[in-house]
Amino acid sequence: MTGEALFKQYPIVPHIWDEMKCSDGIRKQYYSIFETGSKLSLEDLEQKHKLASELFMSQGITFTVYSENEGIERIFPFDIIPRIITGAEWNHIEKGIKQRIKALNLFLKDIYNGQQIIKDGIIPADLIASCPHFTREVFGIEVPYDIYVHISGIDLIRGDDGTFYILEDNLRTPSGVSYMLENREVTKRIFPNLLAESNVRMINNYPLMLHDNLIALAPKQKANPMVVLLTPGIYNSAYFEHTFMARQMGIQLVEGRDLLVDNQKVYMKTTAGLRQVDVIYRRIDDEFLDPLVFRPDSALGVPGLVSAYRKGNVAIINAMGNGVADDKAVYAYVPDMIKYYLNEDIILPNIPTYQMNNADEREHVFQNMHKMVVKETNQSGGYGMLMGNSATPEAMEKTKQNILANPRGFIAQPLIQLSTVPCLIDGKLQPRHVDLRPYALCGPNGIDIVPGGLTRVALREGSLVVNSSQGGGSKDTWVVDMPNE
Amino acid sequence: MLSRIADSLYWLQRYMERADGMLRLMKTSYILSFDKVQTSSMTWEPALKIFTSLSAHDIETLKKDNTAALQYLLLDTKNFNSLKVIYTRARENARGVQDQITKEVWEQVNQIYHQINQPGIAEKLAGPDAINVIDSFIKYGDQFVGITDSTMPRGQGWNYMNLGKFSERCLQTAEFTHSFFKKVDFDFQNEQDILFWRSLLLALSGYELHLKNYSNQQHNYNVAQQVLFDKNFPRSLYYALDRANKYLNDIAASNPVEGSIQLKRSFGRLYSSIKFADLDIVEREGLEKYLIYVRKELNEFGRALGRTYFSYS
Repeated sequence: MTGEALFKQYPIVPHIWDEMKCSDGIRKQYYSIFETGSKLSLEDLEQKHKLASELFMSQGITFTVYSENEGIERIFPFDIIPRIITGAEWNHIEKGIKQRIKALNLFLKDIYNGQQIIKDGIIPADLIASCPHFTREVFGIEVPYDIYVHISGIDLIRGDDGTFYILEDNLRTPSGVSYMLENREVTKRIFPNLLAESNVRMINNYPLMLHDNLIALAPKQKANPMVVLLTPGIYNSAYFEHTFMARQMGIQLVEGRDLLVDNQKVYMKTTAGLRQVDVIYRRIDDEFLDPLVFRPDSALGVPGLVSAYRKGNVAIINAMGNGVADDKAVYAYVPDMIKYYLNEDIILPNIPTYQMNNADEREHVFQNMHKMVVKETNQSGGYGMLMGNSATPEAMEKTKQNILANPRGFIAQPLIQLSTVPCLIDGKLQPRHVDLRPYALCGPNGIDIVPGGLTRVALREGSLVVNSSQGGGSKDTWVVDMPNE
Repeated sequence: MLSRIADSLYWLQRYMERADGMLRLMKTSYILSFDKVQTSSMTWEPALKIFTSLSAHDIETLKKDNTAALQYLLLDTKNFNSLKVIYTRARENARGVQDQITKEVWEQVNQIYHQINQPGIAEKLAGPDAINVIDSFIKYGDQFVGITDSTMPRGQGWNYMNLGKFSERCLQTAEFTHSFFKKVDFDFQNEQDILFWRSLLLALSGYELHLKNYSNQQHNYNVAQQVLFDKNFPRSLYYALDRANKYLNDIAASNPVEGSIQLKRSFGRLYSSIKFADLDIVEREGLEKYLIYVRKELNEFGRALGRTYFSYS
């Protein structure tokens, strides 16, 4: 089949926003892809797809599936057709995310200090007190420059009218940024000319920006602060990303067993003795960080780390205790936070969220469950979700029972049909649902967001779940400045 | 440098060097297995003795079956020293230090790992393609050496890597030599023809050098001279110990921690046992005893090295 036929036959689904095509034809930001694609044959495109997979495999960008005691290496599926956002759309997203991060930072500072927002009755105290990630152990700890959310990956989706909504905030240790960067490198190999011609905004300075921030956060003004990336080790599914980031920034990749705390200072064990560590970019969850304070059975962390942190002898990125701000029930209050702290209206809207410990809202959700998605408030990665449109009656009944047993543990949102993009699947271009995760970096000099981010795609037909653990893949994401925009 | 990193770099190279020596020995054994001469009884025996922990009885059975021997040595994960296990460990070490080795080195190790895990490799080993499989892995190993040499920065990491490489090489040469000389009871007078020694020399990539250097018929004596004392032969004990000694000294100079003096001293003793000796001395004291001494000292050195520089857990 020719590429022209492929692109012409691409179907759009009614009542769903498609990123490439609308009822009037191809959107202008996709013209160049459309033209280039039309000149290629299906074989060319599949050849490119194969090349992309080989590039991921040979670089070891894989995760391991364990079955029958033998590890099988798989790559995260990558689709070669990029997802394109116009410069104007992006500028709006950027403004919205910056506003949100600013408010969330102020919220974290407040909630672990004076708790003014509770005293003023904006957020109910019991909502915070019942949040499993509200970390009393870090109460009153002062963090450098009052920054808590140094790195965030806020998930956005696009509804049927083209509006971007905030789906959830990831403020703890968001992953995926290496895929954003590697996807672009692969695109450079498979569509070199196209990328050059299309005016795509650059993303590859992300590691340098992060590195600058990490250095600036060192507790003392040192000429050469020791910055490390703390990983759980080679069996972690994001290990590739940890090595990738360490390499790109030229910092040490350490495991918990490489570090120790002595007299409230953190050291790493080197062949020439102990060496003090100033900044830790950690990719280990709070609960595993310090067995003396959190889970005593954690072998991944460093005993005494919290004491060094409290003393201000080491900077930890992201701050501990951020989970209270990306809790799915607290999410509903972010518009109020923005009003309260910044006196502004929210730029990127939330999705309406029903609190299950409110009896009226709960009843409403129970009546309309087939139009809802029910989420556990402390879960992520696509786990603990019930999609009302596809769930069995038994699953719905079970979820209702679970909600009644622990109303605070759940929220519900109306199902939003995510926008679609074309994907090359089974020799055809088929629409698949996507979300968008831009990565925002917050440092002493303000907030920077690399243009684009990671587009995750649900590869199963009709599926709205994009998480890689649930059969999702990813795409390169282009922010393209259009002429006369 | 982090102790864990140093440890992993050292072992990465030990495993890669082990794989290399093993493959060369296997290639020789495999080719020899087709020669219908009396030495063919030797074919798989050295490889099976060195790279497996099988009983004498199992070795007797396995050594008559080319395919079974090959598959056990290369692919069987029950064999803790099979090529597959060695490569897997090399890759795990490389994975843990991915930010400390160059991207090129990592990709090479990763590629080798995927090659040994490719589907259908067991069938290939059973057929006429077996030698191509072995050859391709020898090539990958050579590429690894070249890539490492041309991309890795010289520095601490490099020193640990090379210390690992040359200690492993020294051990291997001692092992290989031991298993061949055992057949002649470590007796220099009990002459064997060059066909017998050819397998040892080919496994150490030293056959051509041997032909160039020695013209008389005292093969036992000449072979021992070459594998122990030849300064220009990269797999001789002398060469390997000399290199290892250099890298150990470089490491100790940049890591003046407690224990590094003792470490240097004990390795120096081993090194001088070859540097200030000749074949007559070794013959007088017994070649077998000497080879056992070298292996014992090297293993002891490995443990002391771990205590001094790698003790992070």
